[in-house]
Amino acid sequence: MSSTRSFSIKSLLARHETVLVLVILLEVLLFQTLGKNFLVGKNLSNVFRHSVEIGLLAVAMTPVILTGGIDLSVGSMMGLCAVLFGMMVNRFGLPPYLAGLVAVLFGALGGGMNAVLITRLNLPPLIVTLGTFSLFRGLAEALTKGAESYSGFPKSFLALGNADLAGLPAQIWVFFAVAAAIWLMVHQTTLGRSFRAIGYASEGARYAGIPVARNTSLAYIIAGAVAGLAAVILVARLGEARANAGIGYELLAITAVVLGGVSIFGGSGTVAGTLLGWIALAILNNGLTRISDYRIMDQPVASVARELSGLLTGLLLLAALAIGATMKALAIRRARKQSLSKTTPNPAIS
Amino acid sequence: MKPILQLTAIQKSFGAVRALKGVSFELLPGEVHALLGENGAGKSTLIKVITGAHQPDGGKLIVAGVEVSHLTPAKARELGIACIYQQPALFPDLTVAENIGLRLKKTGALSRIRWASQRTLAVELLHRIGAEISPDAEVGSLSMPEQQLVEIACALGSGARIVIMDEPTASLTQKEQHLLFKVVHDLRASGVGVVYISHRLEEIFALADRVTVLRDGESVGTNPVADLSEAAMIKLMVGREVSSIYPPATGEPGAVVLALKNLGCAASGVSGVTLDVRAGEIVGMAGLVGAGRTELARILFGITPADAGEIGLNGEQISISNPREAIAHGIAYVPEDRRRHGVILEMPIAHNMTMAIHPKIFPGTWLRFGAENLLACEFIRDLGIKAYGPDAPGGSLSGGNQQKVSVARWLATKPKLLILDEPTQGVDVGAKSEIHKIIRELAREGLAVLMISSDLPEVLGMSDRVAVMRGGKLVEMIAKENADAHTVMAAALGTNGKDAA
Repeated sequence: MSSTRSFSIKSLLARHETVLVLVILLEVLLFQTLGKNFLVGKNLSNVFRHSVEIGLLAVAMTPVILTGGIDLSVGSMMGLCAVLFGMMVNRFGLPPYLAGLVAVLFGALGGGMNAVLITRLNLPPLIVTLGTFSLFRGLAEALTKGAESYSGFPKSFLALGNADLAGLPAQIWVFFAVAAAIWLMVHQTTLGRSFRAIGYASEGARYAGIPVARNTSLAYIIAGAVAGLAAVILVARLGEARANAGIGYELLAITAVVLGGVSIFGGSGTVAGTLLGWIALAILNNGLTRISDYRIMDQPVASVARELSGLLTGLLLLAALAIGATMKALAIRRARKQSLSKTTPNPAIS
Repeated sequence: MKPILQLTAIQKSFGAVRALKGVSFELLPGEVHALLGENGAGKSTLIKVITGAHQPDGGKLIVAGVEVSHLTPAKARELGIACIYQQPALFPDLTVAENIGLRLKKTGALSRIRWASQRTLAVELLHRIGAEISPDAEVGSLSMPEQQLVEIACALGSGARIVIMDEPTASLTQKEQHLLFKVVHDLRASGVGVVYISHRLEEIFALADRVTVLRDGESVGTNPVADLSEAAMIKLMVGREVSSIYPPATGEPGAVVLALKNLGCAASGVSGVTLDVRAGEIVGMAGLVGAGRTELARILFGITPADAGEIGLNGEQISISNPREAIAHGIAYVPEDRRRHGVILEMPIAHNMTMAIHPKIFPGTWLRFGAENLLACEFIRDLGIKAYGPDAPGGSLSGGNQQKVSVARWLATKPKLLILDEPTQGVDVGAKSEIHKIIRELAREGLAVLMISSDLPEVLGMSDRVAVMRGGKLVEMIAKENADAHTVMAAALGTNGKDAA
């Protein structure tokens, strides 16, 4: 029973990832039919160039949400790190790679602050990171007096945000490296295993000798560091460092993670799911800007793409959650039936 | 006398699984009717049919002489059927009186709450069951048994004629048990029919008039309790003769593994505990709930570290400040609350089993799925765990098998000292004796075992020595020869007049 189960079409369809792949295919088909130049190489690489920062935040948010937590401060952390980076390069003349490193370390420090408040003082992650969400952004604005911005970065640095490398946007390679590292951490190490245990039952994990506080802290520190990296990449793409960098990105990242099937209660989910959730969002945002022949409420779709994409993102997320919840309810009902049959033979024994 | 509740040939299937295969059951007014059966025998399903939570697929349900065709939970309440669950379903942030008022008064969303009459009603109901609970106390601040009493008060207040109690004593202290027994007697005297479910046979002997035994979804007979012996009852439940319930001790114990000297922890109310546990020995730990036994285990496991006294392990003085240190020293703790602490229900049993040995089985932090699977399959085989495989989530297993997974997790650490906390609580009789065999086998292999249990026959049957705790102190150490129910209970209650003698 169990050996054939994992390969059946039914269970493949029940997998969240499969549903997302279908959604993505549907999106591509739709935009290719309705829109102009959607599946053109240049546009496709733009889709990803413009959403790498959110992708970075989303993959780094995945371990945090697996532990049953959340980090609302990463978008603000991007603003703060962007400003710090700009100041270091522009005002103090640090070379960009060094300033970038400092920005990443500073992000880790901010994540560490979240971690201490959450794990040592046992405060709820939602409230702690809501606080640092305001704090980090406020600091960024104070540093720039609300108006200043930094630009005039060296060309070699701007290439990170705008050039291609081996046929793909340069920053995509950074993203691949980070995503691969986090995939390895979540799925192939004891740390990742412990994130799940903590998310399912943090007390239970403690009783099994898992260093709950230390490992939870690591998730937040990594999220902070990656936010610092995302800030540097954003600055490289825009050529400008402002305090408002990354506003609202935390919510988009969380949307991608949840859309990807990671349980907001912690425990279950995959990095691959997050990636698919991110791709589905990225394509939706870009695709709408390509539809100029069709009108909605007397406006060309492309001109209201922003508003429309917010609306559709919301619908997509709610639909995905509803489908997920229904699937889960069905699975529980199945499991209940199964557990009632006491006589189930044990293939592991025979 | 006419039965107040009559079930005839009730059937219920879940998909292909037949949970109830035509069960008949009757309850007379003024009767305590015990329902017995191993986990999975169909007790819960039967209860859910009576309370209207499940619709039976076949059979007749007659309440007070009237056939009820389509019972819903609301209708069941109207008919005077009340169920008291192990885990009371009350609002923790409301007071006792508010909870009782909410449960009993049918009010619209905007109707006024009459605080005075609500409180009077609560006082009266609590008085009727002899509970010393303030109606103004917040339910969240009450102990589990006190909350159960509030539930009973609700049932009484709703004028229930049929009261179902599902393992009501699982978390009660001796004193609270007596109080509960008295309440059950009063209910019976006032003509209420009580369906009583418990794994503790001695309670059934003390309380019940008749007993119906379920096995594999079938009723294997209803008998007056007076006609059955304990052995006969167990035989009915498991369908086989359990000749020797407890495996015998073998051999002499070895060197001292655990040596505690005046151990204490102010925060958890344990003080001055001096105790030795030897290799190959099972020391049973008896005492009332709240006597500090679990608290002592938590100290030894580093969850609430000690602040006084000494811990010696294999002759070495050690300190334990968190579970990881305890594990590193070779101490394993199978916790009391299996579902919250013992097994992570959503995770595969293989993951559960390796959870305490991550550094050992996954050196360099990389997961090795092959090694993990192999280990899990070995434990599934060795401990006879019934599961469809190492990938089965912990929650899909029955209570007894979950407990075996919890034990497996700690055996995997290759401990020197194994602390078991209520190892067979909520476990059916068959799995219980298997777990007993496993524990004895482990001791035989040279493990030092400290077994906390509120199940007196288990303590007496399994232990080589019995340590009795009371009020956070270890008050008696009783050798096996001298340990009987009376001496242990007397020590636990503090009525043995040791000071006088």
